Amino acid sequence: MANRTVSKTAGTKRSFIDRMGGQKFIVLIIVIVMFIFFCAMSPQFRKYTTVVSILDYSYYIALMAIGVTFPLLTAGVDLSIGTGLICYSLIGGYLVVHQDWPVAAGMLVTVLMGVIFGVINGCLVALMDLPAFLATLCTCMITRGFGALVVGGFGIPWPTAAAPGGWFRSIFKIKIADWNIPIGFLWILLLVVIMSFVLNHTKMGRYTRAIGSNKEATRLSGVNVKFYHVMAYVICGLFAGLASIAYSAIFATVQPGSGAGFELDAIGGAIVGGTSMTGAVGSITGTLVGVFVICLLKTGLPFIGLTANWQQIITGFVLIAAVLFDILKRKKEGN
Amino acid sequence: MKKKVLAVLLGGCMVAGLVAGCGSKDNGTAADGGEGGEGGGSSYHFEVVVKSFQSTYWQAAIQGIDAAVEELGVTVNTTGPNAESDIADQVQQLNNAISQKPDGIALAANDQSAVIPSLQDALDAGIPVVCFDTGVPDAPEGSVIATIATDNESAGAVAAENMYEVIKDTIANATEQVRIGEVNQDATSANISGRGMGFINKMKELIEADGKTVAVVGNQYYVDQVENNGDEGSADVIIEVAVPAQTTVELSSTEASNIMTKEDTIAIFGSNQVTAEGVLTANQNLSVLAATPDEGIVGVGFDAGATLKAAVADGTLIGAVTQAPVDQGNLAIKALYDYCEGKEVKDIATDSYWYDAENMEEADIAPNLYD
Repeated sequence: MANRTVSKTAGTKRSFIDRMGGQKFIVLIIVIVMFIFFCAMSPQFRKYTTVVSILDYSYYIALMAIGVTFPLLTAGVDLSIGTGLICYSLIGGYLVVHQDWPVAAGMLVTVLMGVIFGVINGCLVALMDLPAFLATLCTCMITRGFGALVVGGFGIPWPTAAAPGGWFRSIFKIKIADWNIPIGFLWILLLVVIMSFVLNHTKMGRYTRAIGSNKEATRLSGVNVKFYHVMAYVICGLFAGLASIAYSAIFATVQPGSGAGFELDAIGGAIVGGTSMTGAVGSITGTLVGVFVICLLKTGLPFIGLTANWQQIITGFVLIAAVLFDILKRKKEGN
Repeated sequence: MKKKVLAVLLGGCMVAGLVAGCGSKDNGTAADGGEGGEGGGSSYHFEVVVKSFQSTYWQAAIQGIDAAVEELGVTVNTTGPNAESDIADQVQQLNNAISQKPDGIALAANDQSAVIPSLQDALDAGIPVVCFDTGVPDAPEGSVIATIATDNESAGAVAAENMYEVIKDTIANATEQVRIGEVNQDATSANISGRGMGFINKMKELIEADGKTVAVVGNQYYVDQVENNGDEGSADVIIEVAVPAQTTVELSSTEASNIMTKEDTIAIFGSNQVTAEGVLTANQNLSVLAATPDEGIVGVGFDAGATLKAAVADGTLIGAVTQAPVDQGNLAIKALYDYCEGKEVKDIATDSYWYDAENMEEADIAPNLYD
């Protein structure tokens, strides 16, 4: 198990697809095909504003997905990122709107909250040996209740773009002569590059994979497994905090009680992008591409006139296909 | 074996979460009413089940409930699911409320048919039920003593009438087909589907009265309810009905953008707070909402909340319809109290109001415009 990644790169008969990056290459092609398909089917979809909308709604999912890739690589999961995102945004926004804190301070609190809940998740999973699914399901409930409690059940409107303090909205979108420029995408790309580097070229990344591959063997080889295991959840929490800022910047109001289900878009994106639920295998670039499959489905299906129920059915089938692909691939590799 | 232990743990955890979740929400109302009641000798305890704690709408209703609690010296315990789509959760909460054997239950049902067996249980247990916000038309005879709700058909019609005022000249002078959009939260709850149909029927009636033809397209649930639906190809006006997969602002906004990017769209109506915010979110990228159809698309919202109020105040939306949530919560508790005191209670239709930048501050409107 431990040398699964090694054997992959050392293989002698590598197909064209594998050389191009394996599953993520296929998924990238799927994204392009889907985009062309939706463009062909719907004249409304082929508009610049639609592209901006898709990007707008992809930021928070992409950020959550980059983060959650780390727990997934340790063969864990973090289900608290969706409700957590809303909780952090509510509390940060509450300080800004009702306590007159500067927006920058509110944003900092938002990110810090994410890190704190990352530490809590990490401790529960890595130090106290709770199953990740269980531990993060509990923090998912805690964050949902906690956020609503702090704001007293009322929605929080972060400052609008035109209002004082609205500058933070232009982190993700700037307006030049009536054109909305989705610059948030550049930040996402930058973070993908940074986190890919962290995952592939630092101890943090290598040990994250090693924990997911064989935790005991990693521990026996002298790695401080507990520390790196906690850190995987802290990274996830940090990105949930960043996602929280993206969400606050794109949407006008944050409603308490919402957020459940966001994590599934992010986890689904990571899995479609080739991250294995059983750990060790996956990449940040794959996750990003996978997120766009989910986002395109969410935006595109309504545009081609498919109603609510069909959208959910199709999204479900896409996830089954992605997981099946992962299982078949591993069977073929003899794992 | 390990799996079984995990399953039991998980089950336990979920129950604990549920209990903790409900408990935390009770605090406000239960504590408020705890004192006064005992002394008066008429200390009733009521259970309230609202639709969700997600929308600030329900926080406004709870304000009304709290006011009644203070005034009458009763105790109230309020519960509700996390989202209005959590139908099964709400039925369970209703069943829990019945098993507490309270003196009465106030219910805002998320699904009209799912709660019927529970209402029968309440009837058998002799617990009176007041429905507020949403009625349950097929409730067992005698179980529901009163319904306190907005007349949603007419609330939807109010939106249609006010929108039509602004767009009628454009419709009258149009040489080609024009489109009116409507984004609805869901197709199960009577008040939202009633509101959606109220809008559609009124708009259709107004347009046809002026000698034009109308076709309703989109979500099948709504289209099927339209009488004498016109032909999509030849109609002068298309009313397009969209329902998002889940009631999130993001998905509502996607549905709204789909309609708002069509060249022939002249107006759009978001039939509750979330869908109206969806229309506004879509407009952030499209920037098409305007005061008249000549300049862009005319937008109308429903309910309130800080974002909607700001959009009405600055003219992004020409206006919106608000209900009276504070009154509804208040009247529901009062009706239960009166019933327990042996007085007669009857159904009350609470008002819905059209508000725009002009009349937002007026005395009968402002209290219902919650943040």
